[in-house]
Amino acid sequence: MARKTEDHLDRAYEKFTSGAMSRREFVRLISIAGAAAGLVGGPFGYMTRRAWAGQSIRFDGWGGVVSEAFRKYAFDPFTKATGIKVVEGEFGDMDTYLTRVKASFPPGGEFNLAHLSGVFDYARYVKLGFNSVLDETKIPNLKNVMEAMMKPYRAITNGKLSAVPYDYGQTGIAYNTKHISKEKAEKLGAALLWDKDLKGKLGSWGDWRTNIWYAALKTGQNPNNIKDMKAVWNALREQQPMIKKYWGSGAELMSLLANEEIYATVAWSGRVAALQAQGHPIGFLSPNNCYSWQECIFVLKGTDMAVAQKLLNFMLEPKCAIAVAEGQKYPSSLDPTKVPMPEAVKKLPAFDPTGKLKGYLFADPNYWNGHQVEWAEKWDRIKAGA
Amino acid sequence: MKDKRWKVWAMLAPSLSAVFLLMVVPVCFVIVYSFWLRAPSGADIPAFQFGNYAKFFQDFFYPGIMLRTIRVALETVALCLVMGYIPAYFFYRTESRFKPFLILLVMLPFWISFIIRTLSWINILGDTGLINHVLMRLGVISEPLPMLYNEGAVLLGLIQYLLPFMILNIYVTLEGIDRSLVEAAKSLGCTEWQAFREVTLPLSLPGVSGGCLLVFVLTAGTYLPPMILGGPRNEMIANLIFKRVIGTLDWPFGSAISVILLTLLVIIIYTYNRYLGINQLLKNLR
Amino acid sequence: MKPLSGWSLIRLYTIAVYVFMFAPIVAVIILSFNPQQFGSFPMESFSLRWYVKLAHNRPILYAFKNSLILGSLTAIVVTAIGIPASLAFVRYDFPGKNALNTLLLMPIMVPEIVLGVALLLFIRWLQQPKSFALLLIGHVVLTLPYVLLVVQARLVGIKREYEEAALVLGANTLQTFREVTLPLLMPAILAGMLFAFTISFDDITATLFWATAQNQTVPVKIFGMLRNSISPEINALGTVMIVLTVTIPLLAGYLSRRFARGSGENNRDKQ
Repeated sequence: MARKTEDHLDRAYEKFTSGAMSRREFVRLISIAGAAAGLVGGPFGYMTRRAWAGQSIRFDGWGGVVSEAFRKYAFDPFTKATGIKVVEGEFGDMDTYLTRVKASFPPGGEFNLAHLSGVFDYARYVKLGFNSVLDETKIPNLKNVMEAMMKPYRAITNGKLSAVPYDYGQTGIAYNTKHISKEKAEKLGAALLWDKDLKGKLGSWGDWRTNIWYAALKTGQNPNNIKDMKAVWNALREQQPMIKKYWGSGAELMSLLANEEIYATVAWSGRVAALQAQGHPIGFLSPNNCYSWQECIFVLKGTDMAVAQKLLNFMLEPKCAIAVAEGQKYPSSLDPTKVPMPEAVKKLPAFDPTGKLKGYLFADPNYWNGHQVEWAEKWDRIKAGA
Repeated sequence: MKDKRWKVWAMLAPSLSAVFLLMVVPVCFVIVYSFWLRAPSGADIPAFQFGNYAKFFQDFFYPGIMLRTIRVALETVALCLVMGYIPAYFFYRTESRFKPFLILLVMLPFWISFIIRTLSWINILGDTGLINHVLMRLGVISEPLPMLYNEGAVLLGLIQYLLPFMILNIYVTLEGIDRSLVEAAKSLGCTEWQAFREVTLPLSLPGVSGGCLLVFVLTAGTYLPPMILGGPRNEMIANLIFKRVIGTLDWPFGSAISVILLTLLVIIIYTYNRYLGINQLLKNLR
Repeated sequence: MKPLSGWSLIRLYTIAVYVFMFAPIVAVIILSFNPQQFGSFPMESFSLRWYVKLAHNRPILYAFKNSLILGSLTAIVVTAIGIPASLAFVRYDFPGKNALNTLLLMPIMVPEIVLGVALLLFIRWLQQPKSFALLLIGHVVLTLPYVLLVVQARLVGIKREYEEAALVLGANTLQTFREVTLPLLMPAILAGMLFAFTISFDDITATLFWATAQNQTVPVKIFGMLRNSISPEINALGTVMIVLTVTIPLLAGYLSRRFARGSGENNRDKQ
């Protein structure tokens, strides 16, 4: 076809496409805009506006059974007593949550309470200025919480609290009892994870803290004051080719152990308890200076403190704390000498009947946070085989 | 002429404004962030320095991950092409009553969450998974084959995710080919294969290249298959960004890596559009 | 017409590809009936336990509803804005066309994590709270490149002669578009909508950052489950979805065939 016809076609085509399309598009846009406005103005928009009005408070947690326990024993009674709704959110890991908090609309807007893990996390939030100050007189149930657990927090926030300790646990060593005897595990301790016989059947968490901690234990050092970092890096380099998989979540950990893909790995005590409850042959070893940690309910800056304190009190009710402990398999922060614990809780790995937490080594937040960037990056390289 | 220009912009306006607001501007934020510094607490300090970029290139580690990502992306494209062209051709030529249904079936895997699908590969490839179970039962092997946590597993997961994109892209283009052209070729004496080679194949190229581009770009940005199915040495660039932005809260460095990745992809796509793109092919076909 | 051996090979190859694609799916379906939580083969017994749990799991069902609504809306909106844009690129020449085409494809080039955090920074700067509308537009932006690629590739093959012929024969512009261009473009439009729905439905990373507490979607919930354990109810959910996705089109196809016999086949021959 000649150029002339193409031009003619061009013009004709464009005339009708533009005419037809604009009309169609216009109609479509109007209806979409209407729908969108309706939705934003509808139930979803309503919820957002209500939050601003202070009629609700937001709690972010780990979801699943824990959320169910909270809902039944804390949130629902709280809403019944005060009329304030608890809006729940979930996160899969601490870092994603912190990223969202850091990127969120400033104070009091979106995030209020969170079930944080680790004292170092508490420290991170404080350093970033996201903390608040709790009026402890308004939380009477606080008297049941172990002093030993509140001490590290007070140390960071000048004697005050921005969170209430909620539960604790340990990252010990899980091993398959069919393939590794209890005696062998207890004899080797941390060195079990470097056992040449287990090459290709070992696992570990991807987290830099845990791995460096255990390498420190293996090289006979105090994890909170490592003198010979080179030895630690060498130990990790030695271990890397023997590791089948650096898992990234509780689900993966449980799956790897249950399916016998790996026979030994560092592991969170609660997950091991869950596996044992399901009948899998997994043993839990808590070596000397086992990596212990605690979780808290943190109150972020800008939250309505009166509401938050009231809710915290509900959450610290023994009934609620015990239900949560049974659900997620981590012992509660309530002092067992003051609040009687059921058998199920007493049997949990990492449970301390004295309530003093003597012999539990917690990570020193300033030490570890200070080295974060440098060690995390170096760990990344070693993990990748560099 | 002026009239024509106005109409064009009206058609482009909604897309352009959405992308501009929700992508271009935020990406500008990222670019700005890449020059900032990270405070020890994790907060960000406005600055203008190239330290983050220097850190990326200071040794071979980070560029190595980038190269690995590109390599894996190319492998994925090649595999998807080989595995995807024929099914697309099948859909085009089949006269089965179930044709629309079969095509829908290709997209079906997406209805199961990606995480679930990827995790279920573990049930198939794992030491106690289906394949090893069957092979050991049959006595073919005595020790389980390590099929997981290596590059092969990651590729498998990637292909499973991306193959439908390739197939549908090619199929949609094939559908648009004028069948009378093929008939004409055959009536002139071509065999089935020759007709395909001379007529159908060249005309299907827009779909092929569109599919290849899409698969390449998507692979370059994924982090879930390497995270779930890969071993320690299979990490890709998006995993790195994930770890820096979320793990270490090092937004400046994470932004710098993103900018580098983005630049690379922009160059590739722009070159594609210029030399192989839809418009270019259109001109060649005339 | 089709040489037997060549076509059989093609058919076999396609079946093999299907087997590959569906292997994990089949595993999920089978495992949804496995009462054990960590199923690997062989299965001990058969049980509907997880389906029962699923029916009572309100948060998951609510998230499922959200995902469906979000996905459908995304598909509609993105096709509505993607078709005009594709037309503009394929039928017209204007300065900066290549650059703009690349720009609109950018959402897939930027890793979602970056996009996720970046957008949050932007709205924080704007002091806007998150909302469903934001999530929707975000998904539209994410899925736009797919629609553009598919529709453009198809448009290239549609000859303008057809439209010209219709005009010459007396059809007006709207009729021509409706009777000529649109049907020819339909496979691409449907493919685009299907893509958009799918990607929106399955999107994790961006949604993780943009969703408000009320607008949780299924993948985000699943991601959150990873900390403790993925409940096998999810396998049940996946199976339910597959059954739905398979039976609904079959039903629709059967019904449409009954009510519109013949017209479908005739249109194809016109090509």
